[in-house]
Amino acid sequence: MKEMWQGPLEKIDDRRFRIPRSYKTGMLVDGIIIADERLLKSIRQDKALEQVVNVAFLPGIVKASFAMPDIHWGYGFAIGGVAATDIDAGGVISPGGVGFDINCGVRLVKTNLRYDEIKDRIEKIVARLFSDVPAGIGSKGDIRVSPKEERQILIKGARWCVEQGYGVEADLEATEENGEIKGADPSGVSDRAYERGKAQSGTLGSGNHFLEIQAVEQVFDRGAADRFGISEGQIVLMIHSGSRGFGYQVCDEYAKGMIKALAKYSINVPDRQLACAPVNSSEGKAYLGAMRCAANYAWANRQNLMHLARGSFEKIFGRSWQDLGMDLIYDVAHNIAKIEKHKVGGKEKLLCVHRKGATRAFGPGSPGIPAQYEDIGQPVIIPGDMGRNSYLLAGTRRAMEETFGSTCHGAGRLMSRHEAKRRVNFSELISRLKAKGIVVMSSGRGTVVEEAPEAYKDVNEVVDVVHKAGISKKVCKMRPLGVIKG
Amino acid sequence: MGKIPYEFIEHTADIGIRVRGGSLEDLFKNAALAMFEIIAERKKSAPQSAKKHLKIKQTADTTDELFINWLSELLSLSSAKGLIFSDLKIEKMDETGLRATAAGEDSGNYRFNREIKAVTYHGFKLEQGPSGWQAEVIFDV
Repeated sequence: MKEMWQGPLEKIDDRRFRIPRSYKTGMLVDGIIIADERLLKSIRQDKALEQVVNVAFLPGIVKASFAMPDIHWGYGFAIGGVAATDIDAGGVISPGGVGFDINCGVRLVKTNLRYDEIKDRIEKIVARLFSDVPAGIGSKGDIRVSPKEERQILIKGARWCVEQGYGVEADLEATEENGEIKGADPSGVSDRAYERGKAQSGTLGSGNHFLEIQAVEQVFDRGAADRFGISEGQIVLMIHSGSRGFGYQVCDEYAKGMIKALAKYSINVPDRQLACAPVNSSEGKAYLGAMRCAANYAWANRQNLMHLARGSFEKIFGRSWQDLGMDLIYDVAHNIAKIEKHKVGGKEKLLCVHRKGATRAFGPGSPGIPAQYEDIGQPVIIPGDMGRNSYLLAGTRRAMEETFGSTCHGAGRLMSRHEAKRRVNFSELISRLKAKGIVVMSSGRGTVVEEAPEAYKDVNEVVDVVHKAGISKKVCKMRPLGVIKG
Repeated sequence: MGKIPYEFIEHTADIGIRVRGGSLEDLFKNAALAMFEIIAERKKSAPQSAKKHLKIKQTADTTDELFINWLSELLSLSSAKGLIFSDLKIEKMDETGLRATAAGEDSGNYRFNREIKAVTYHGFKLEQGPSGWQAEVIFDV
């Protein structure tokens, strides 16, 4: 394969590489890529590194334009990009730094079931989940809400679900921002977004979204695993979904509005998809208020999906979800902008941290992480690719010092969806996964083929890099047993 | 209807197309039809049903913006109304505005192939050549 990106890349250490700000006039900071030589070979093959450079143009950006090892070519920001801007120094917020699927994220639910107990019933469990959890493009949920209720979801997020009986208070404690980020402003949400959102609450969606039954394969950090309540052979459930059409609509409308803000605030960015406005401007505040609505919609969505999955397990095993130990370990956002305080050059600053295809990975003692995890760091959930492992990690102090408490979010695509479709045969893929003991059910063949394991980087390599770079630490890895895809 | 003149452009995460049209109007129509062809195909078993007609009005500062807004509006309407558009009539158009009617059937009559989340400006190109108009656009999927 030919290398598409020929720009300078200086080695800082074995897992850190720098694109110096001298590379292009207009860069305000360096680009820093967390990767190793092997992953860099594939990273250089698309335009992701040029996007890291473009992000370095954002007004108010501090420290560096960061890229995680799962980085790949997106639009505006690369997917796997992290950038923070100094709000008091005119720092901007960019919808392109969050992405269309606002608060696409993942949650991990434990059970007290062991692999040996369920290994002969996986197909049955997957079929039940597939019938209970609406998946696929345009799928509609059973949890229908009125416009008034939808407004409540936008303000209260997952708390709304708990109030309806779709969960318990402990679920909220184990969710980033307690599943209800403050400052959501429904008045900035269009009627069209409401219309797209009303039927989709409690639906999985399509693409890389999934619900997966996994078995804990290996524990790396016994102490942290004990605290998370995880041991080898245990069955867990992973849910990966986002804010659905509601979030796409919010992003689309605000990204368009931001293009006009570029001229108004004399901002020069090399890509229109990086359109932005100062956080403290009317445009910046309006986007933040609407983005938070979409973030809350997504947390409610994952809470509803977990509620449906708990119900499926209750039906199969004839016991309550509490008896089955189906407690939430944690829920993290992968596409979001947050206002956080971090030290930059020894001074604490109020920053707008964009994580697009990146995970918050707050270290021990950081504010905002659940009390029960305070001394081990925030759980970090890294979904795999349906055929390989997924990971549970913990945030570190080093991540706080270096990457604004951020790490990778997944494996990262290697192959275009079109190429995957050309190369992968659906039936062959299903039999190959079956031979590995993985049952897949999907509402469309295309999605499964596009999401084939070979279309992704090896998540094991990606996680190994962030672990060795010290920006999160491995707690355990899981292997897939059964997958539902949209 | 004949084959829509478009081809795919490789993009790691998303899907891009290069689409052509003899006139600007044709280009806009072809791009929209290509987008819905990527999203879904009509089920052979689906019964004939009456199409719903929706009026669309768009204005923009530039033709680039008009093109992106046109596709975004159709995508958003399709999702909100549960329709797949297969018949587009542009009634009036200049470089920064258009008025059109989009006709579509209930999405239940279609088999979905792929979700398009949004139409992006990333790498967007719109140009007029000797044989007509051409655009390159990347969809977020």
